[in-house]
Amino acid sequence: MEAASVAVRQKQKRPSGFSEGRLGAAMMAPSLIVMALVAAFPIGYAIWLSLNEYSVRVEGLSRFVGFDNYADELWGANKSEFWDAFKNTFIFTGISVSIELVLGIAFALAMHQAFRGRAILRATVLVPWAVLTFGTGLLWRSIFEPNLGFWSSMLSALGLPGADALWYGEDGYAMATIIFADVWKTAPFMALLILAGLQVIPEDVYDAAKVDGATAWQRFTRITLPLLRPAILVALLFRTLDALRVFDLPFALTRGSNGTTTLSLYSYNQLTSNRLIGEGSAIAVLTFVIVMIVSFLYIRFVGGNIRAMTEAE
Amino acid sequence: MRLWSWLAVVACALAFGLVACGDDDDDGGGGDAEKAPTGQGAKGNVNWCIGKDTSGAYGTAIELFKKENPNVTVKLVELPESTDEQRTQLVQRLDAESEECDVLGMDTIWTAEFAAQGWLQDTTDVITPREDDWIPSTLETAKYEDKYYAVSYHTNAGFLYYRTDQVQQPPDTWEDVYKQAGANDGIVYQGARYEGLTVHFLELLYSGGGKVLSDDGQSVEVDSPEGEAALQFMADGIKNGDAPKAVTTYMEEESRRAFESGNATFMRNWPYAYALGKESKLADKFDITTFPSFEGGEPASVLGGINLAISAFAKNPEGAAAFIDYATGPEVQKTNFLESASPPATAAPYEDPEVQKKYAFASDLKKAVEQGQVRPVSPVYPQITEAIYNNVFDALQGNAEPKAALGKMKSDIEKALETF
Repeated sequence: MEAASVAVRQKQKRPSGFSEGRLGAAMMAPSLIVMALVAAFPIGYAIWLSLNEYSVRVEGLSRFVGFDNYADELWGANKSEFWDAFKNTFIFTGISVSIELVLGIAFALAMHQAFRGRAILRATVLVPWAVLTFGTGLLWRSIFEPNLGFWSSMLSALGLPGADALWYGEDGYAMATIIFADVWKTAPFMALLILAGLQVIPEDVYDAAKVDGATAWQRFTRITLPLLRPAILVALLFRTLDALRVFDLPFALTRGSNGTTTLSLYSYNQLTSNRLIGEGSAIAVLTFVIVMIVSFLYIRFVGGNIRAMTEAE
Repeated sequence: MRLWSWLAVVACALAFGLVACGDDDDDGGGGDAEKAPTGQGAKGNVNWCIGKDTSGAYGTAIELFKKENPNVTVKLVELPESTDEQRTQLVQRLDAESEECDVLGMDTIWTAEFAAQGWLQDTTDVITPREDDWIPSTLETAKYEDKYYAVSYHTNAGFLYYRTDQVQQPPDTWEDVYKQAGANDGIVYQGARYEGLTVHFLELLYSGGGKVLSDDGQSVEVDSPEGEAALQFMADGIKNGDAPKAVTTYMEEESRRAFESGNATFMRNWPYAYALGKESKLADKFDITTFPSFEGGEPASVLGGINLAISAFAKNPEGAAAFIDYATGPEVQKTNFLESASPPATAAPYEDPEVQKKYAFASDLKKAVEQGQVRPVSPVYPQITEAIYNNVFDALQGNAEPKAALGKMKSDIEKALETF
């Protein structure tokens, strides 16, 4: 994601041959160098690691294997693990981001209304987002604990179904729990970004619509949503890219059991627990490429949209 | 284009550079076998890197050592509380050939992996002069390819906890344990998808006379009738409700809480849960015993615990050896046991009258440790255990038939053994 936005910026500011451009380039050079050191070097190093195999049996032994590690993941020995992780990551991203979007818009509309205590509400809504994600995971783990947890006790006290389910220990439920925890945590963030978009929509547009006899629903679909689009798209971009790299929630809640091993978690396991440096790096690089592709698609289609809209204004 | 190729060259050069520095400097690693440290004439500073000192045992060991060895100063470098985190931190230091640690506190299952990487020094000369002090099974965890690369410090073995108000006489076989569990409130154990599940599966496998690897470690023997019996037994236990389905989410603490809240008749857990249980509302309603037998075999347990090793990059290997020798000696072992209930790896403290008075279970524990076996010794143990707990878990969850899960376990372990 970082690299992509850098690329875009570079394109816009490419020196045009004027001395002004050269000056610009010279002034940007220090930050580009820093960027290269902190971003490009680790990426380059990870790519290099992914082209090798490092022995876990013999001291200091390594060999160059080219793209074998990638082949293993994509269609070789580990293809089922890799594509499972791929599938899990996209299920998580698709569902959690959609729910967050709907909730985020609802929250934002509620917070946009003028009422007493609005400032306090806005601050409170942000609390889940400020909690460390790993802490969130542990919190939900204790709430969803099968015997003594609050959730199961509540369901059985109310006679609701699901009291006997192992909320983070059963296929399907485990992913649902993680998505739930993620929505709880990041819907407020989505809401704030969308609220910012709401606040720049001028009031008089609504007044005019009211005069023309538009219903509240028409005002929402014909005015609010279209004008909110840039804000929504930015929020979606942020959340999607974040969700594709999800690590802490499955790590804290399930350790990847019951179909919750995401790409990041899979790569972490191979890297730190099994110390398969080459293979783990290959998975990390593949994750990076996948995130790059998704962000490229967003910027291409969604970003183009935003630009077209700003120009139309 | 030109920029890219330049970047690639720089990246490769840097990468090569780093890899190369890793290779240059091998002389620290394992190669010094002929000069293995003995601890004679030790002096200077020793850094001891080990998990968080939650019980105060490590601080006590250092203080006792200081009184006898004024020439050596031992400094405790505390690593995180979680074992996985400790391993990550040690691996990072050792991979970078850091000289920070002289003595490493290691989980028993890391010995083969760390030794194979050349991160540990030969400790044979620390052990041999007093080899008879240790309970023999514990030293097996310090061995790799017929040499000692660590010294057993604390050991551990599981117990069967049972409710005295529901069970008159603890059963002699696992089969009866499950039968009585089914008739009462069930059995809980560590059934989540992690190391604890591997341990419990191995306990049943070893009790039934099975093993994971052949004696030379080259082939996989887990898909034996014994393996099938053990896995079928565990899967049936959950299917029949002898063990609640929730055990597949339990680690040590979840099991303990379920047992202490009165939700289970039996529990498989480590000795640490005994003292805590005696402070719970269940205090006078439970007791512990060593594991029963399974499938007519000999009772067996799986050893846990902590070994101490000398880092290949230690600045003060002699000091490290002297400290390890002392920490595994009678003084520290007894004091640690009394103070923090960490089971000693040496035999003498268990017979000590003071210990016997404080821990009614001391003799039982010693018996459990004596019948303890090691988990497969292999540099690729992390992958082996993953293959075990993933597939046992699938069988417990009913996602795979035990026989099929065992076949997959075998091929996964074979894949692990083929790792470069």
